[in-house]
Amino acid sequence: MIDFLAAAVRIATPLLLAALGGILSERAGVFAVGLEGMMLMGAFTAIVGAWASDSSLIGVVLALVGGAAIGLIVAVVAVRYRADHMVTGLTANILAIGLTSYLLRVLAGGGKPIAIHLSPLAPWPVPGLADLPLVGLLFVQPPLTYLGALCCIALDLFLRHTQAGLTLRATGENPEAAFATGAAPLRVRMLAVIACGAIAGLGGAVLSLQQVGTFTDGMTGGRGYLALASLIVARWSPLAAALACLAFGAAEAFELRLQTFGVPVSSYVVQMAPYLIALAVLAGLGRSSRMPASIGRPLPWDR
Amino acid sequence: MAARIVAAAGLSLLSAALLVALSGHSPLAAFGAMALGSVGSPHQIGVGLNRATPYLLAGSGVAICFRAGVINIGAEGQIALGGVGAAAVALLWPSGASALSAFAALIGAAAFGAVWAGLATAIHLGRRVHEVLATLLLNFVALLMVQQALAGPLGQFGAGFLQSPQLPAESWLWKAPELSAHVGFLIALAAAAALSVVLWLTPFGFAVRLAGQSRATAAYAGFSMPAITWGVMLLAGGLAGLAGGVEVLGVHHRLIEGFSLGFGFKAVTVALLGALEPLAVVPASLFVGLLEAGSLSMQRQIGVPSALVVVIEAVTMLFVLAATARRT
Repeated sequence: MIDFLAAAVRIATPLLLAALGGILSERAGVFAVGLEGMMLMGAFTAIVGAWASDSSLIGVVLALVGGAAIGLIVAVVAVRYRADHMVTGLTANILAIGLTSYLLRVLAGGGKPIAIHLSPLAPWPVPGLADLPLVGLLFVQPPLTYLGALCCIALDLFLRHTQAGLTLRATGENPEAAFATGAAPLRVRMLAVIACGAIAGLGGAVLSLQQVGTFTDGMTGGRGYLALASLIVARWSPLAAALACLAFGAAEAFELRLQTFGVPVSSYVVQMAPYLIALAVLAGLGRSSRMPASIGRPLPWDR
Repeated sequence: MAARIVAAAGLSLLSAALLVALSGHSPLAAFGAMALGSVGSPHQIGVGLNRATPYLLAGSGVAICFRAGVINIGAEGQIALGGVGAAAVALLWPSGASALSAFAALIGAAAFGAVWAGLATAIHLGRRVHEVLATLLLNFVALLMVQQALAGPLGQFGAGFLQSPQLPAESWLWKAPELSAHVGFLIALAAAAALSVVLWLTPFGFAVRLAGQSRATAAYAGFSMPAITWGVMLLAGGLAGLAGGVEVLGVHHRLIEGFSLGFGFKAVTVALLGALEPLAVVPASLFVGLLEAGSLSMQRQIGVPSALVVVIEAVTMLFVLAATARRT
């Protein structure tokens, strides 16, 4: 049971960070299809940074930078130049796949990808709380997991209780009204997408730096899309997104259990579960999932 | 429009030159090797044509969807299942009627693709799930279904990795001996031409174009958006399925896991590069197909990783997107 919960939290952490970034972007009115690429670039810059500098902290900082760089590209093409958000995000994902696998090989001087192996980040037990029964495991987590939880609470407070959060939400609901109050919707959207990239990049760092200590081609394997599904299921609320990601984590942990106990279900069928669950939940929400009103709609201003 | 797209392709090649320089190789040498590898010999041209074929088939379908304002990202899954359809029909086809075997297998491929696109459409229209999410999530399911099919009924036992037995030779597509290109490219050309006729010369095509310009106007004119969506999705699904079938019957002669990895995105790339005009998707898919054939020999000859071609494609797309989006 403890193992099961630990696995659920472990799987949920990168999803949650990506979903939080996506909430920021979508609440400002920009579809977050580029989460996958932002995560992948963050995972790559984190591991290369940590390897080159011998410092995990620098790896984490570079994860923010790498993710934000993909965010910047999406912001310029989709927000400034008004291209379709979905197609731009998808293209950013492909760019990240190509760029990371190209650079991974260039780092090794050609042909084969360079092999980087670092030890995964160690857990930081919180004194006192770590010894509690059952919930204790929530306080024996590696550092980026705590950071994810903090981001979740901070984003919730930011969106609901700050002036800037209100402006951001207004930009996603009714940019003309936001403009009339003196805000700059174009700048708000661009900043939101760049920040989305940074946070999703951190999600990628969780995968590479915190969980496996290496980078492999396309290692995010669709997690960005699952994060996108979970933020919609959570109706663009950070706290609900944490629950949604934990639910996905639990489903996947359950899947792994099934396989290790040798239940006679094909592993391919079991692997379909997260996508089918996501589809079923989205279909179940149907019309009732109200998106930010102006999401996907290009802005009429050039600055 | 055309000038902007060519400029975008040029700018992305320039970015690629920078990346090559970063790897310590000469961009000129790399591009030279790439050019020689793509059009240097009839054989290489054939390889490029074969690569362009599935992109052209699936891409012209995607172009029609985008024209109608239906953002169909599902070609990846539809292509993969098209391959399953082709392999299943070719393996099960009675040997008595072997003359029709390839034809039947292609029909099977198109049917599988269309059914998968239909499922996405039903979820999209029936439950109001955004079409991008419905098609995207179904892609992952489709790829796993291919693996399941290969691990089970269609698989070759003891092959070591997931693949089907070799298909009967009657089901293979005809190959031009000198060129090593299969007949699929001609099928794709015919499909693109037919689609262009549908788009410009039929009432359905008019409805598609109108819906893409303004859904409100199309609705006011009495066209039904669900009917248009079903039409373009089934067309695109059938063509994507055909793309998978042509790849299986023409290139591999068996179903192999991951045979179509990334094809769905390439379909979107060539559709946008071709400005959503089926006939213009022809040069766009040739550009991408030849680029990829060339990149492989560039990697062999001077050691620049062929992943560069993915970067070139993505950067070209980004420039095209930025250069051709709506102006207000």
